[in-house]
Amino acid sequence: MLTAGIVASVAYSKDILFSSNHGGRQITVNMDAKRLNLDDESLICQIQEGSHEAFAILVDRHSNRFYRIAYRFVSSKDDAEDIVQEAFLKLWNRPNLWDAGKGAKFTTWFYRVVINLCFDHRKKKKMINLPEDIEFADENPGPDVLYDVHQKQAVLERLIQELPERQQLAVNLCFYEGLSNSEAAQIIGVKVKALQSLVMRAKTTLKYNVKQFLDGGSR
Amino acid sequence: MTMNFEQFKEKLLMYGADIRGWPKDISSSALKALDNSPELQKLVEDEKRFEGVLKTRKYEEPSRDLAGRIVAAALPKKKKTQRNFGVFFSEVLSEFSLSRRAFAAISVSLIFTLIIGFTIGYSNPSGSASTEHYETHLEDFLNYEGDVL
Repeated sequence: MLTAGIVASVAYSKDILFSSNHGGRQITVNMDAKRLNLDDESLICQIQEGSHEAFAILVDRHSNRFYRIAYRFVSSKDDAEDIVQEAFLKLWNRPNLWDAGKGAKFTTWFYRVVINLCFDHRKKKKMINLPEDIEFADENPGPDVLYDVHQKQAVLERLIQELPERQQLAVNLCFYEGLSNSEAAQIIGVKVKALQSLVMRAKTTLKYNVKQFLDGGSR
Repeated sequence: MTMNFEQFKEKLLMYGADIRGWPKDISSSALKALDNSPELQKLVEDEKRFEGVLKTRKYEEPSRDLAGRIVAAALPKKKKTQRNFGVFFSEVLSEFSLSRRAFAAISVSLIFTLIIGFTIGYSNPSGSASTEHYETHLEDFLNYEGDVL
């Protein structure tokens, strides 16, 4: 993994090379080891002054994390990658959108940017059309095990997508991303108590629906 | 502080089946309550099974070069080279594979033709239009009352 490679080599070299090939276009960015240790907010200040190197470090540090949350919302690798790219390019083209004065952490703010793009994307695309008459096969593993796994995944995905938007957000951030309740609350823009209530309602609904399916029911 | 069944159930939904990962101020009392209650143990087992189902959710790893792709897309695009006459003429030269001397001869003859053309144009009196012919008789126009049918 690129990040791991960079972190591992910090101790040995002063300048680290970020190099990758894109459509025959070789992109090389020299990364100053000192810069690599800067926190996100300091990097953004440098991006605001036009530093492409600071931008590269920030992207390398966080692109996978934001991809994960985007994927949870759009369920497509390509779309999630496009959304993360769009979010970062927005930051690069208009770095002053991030206001240090508001005191928010970069990641908290950027989660919101990515999530908003995901919701816009879903509105445009009218999320995954799963078959309505899908049913769980019986529990005995047979030659259709793989199909069964895919089927279960599809059902689970649909059950999560059917949750109200805020409950989905709560589950994705707290359960799948492992964020603390207070950070997730900040991202959604609610108090911690409200966030906890969202998580509880989401899990109760999901538990009920998953149980119904496992008991052989279909919706 | 001891935790009753309902409180435990609520916290279980809130913080998940890993009791040791709960906030420190409640995890010890939760563990105590769990030790003494088969009912709570069953609840935790249920929650673990449910979380196991949630973890089967489909996920695809991002492309290895995602970060590189984003960084590349943000690079300023190459500016178009400024075109000037020198570049234009050298391109024409190479396009028609003319020697410099031939090109100079063609240029001079063109300029010479232009000069002759302008000289003839300005010095020809017969070509000048008589302003008298084209004068608009404003008074006649204003007094015109139309044709009598």
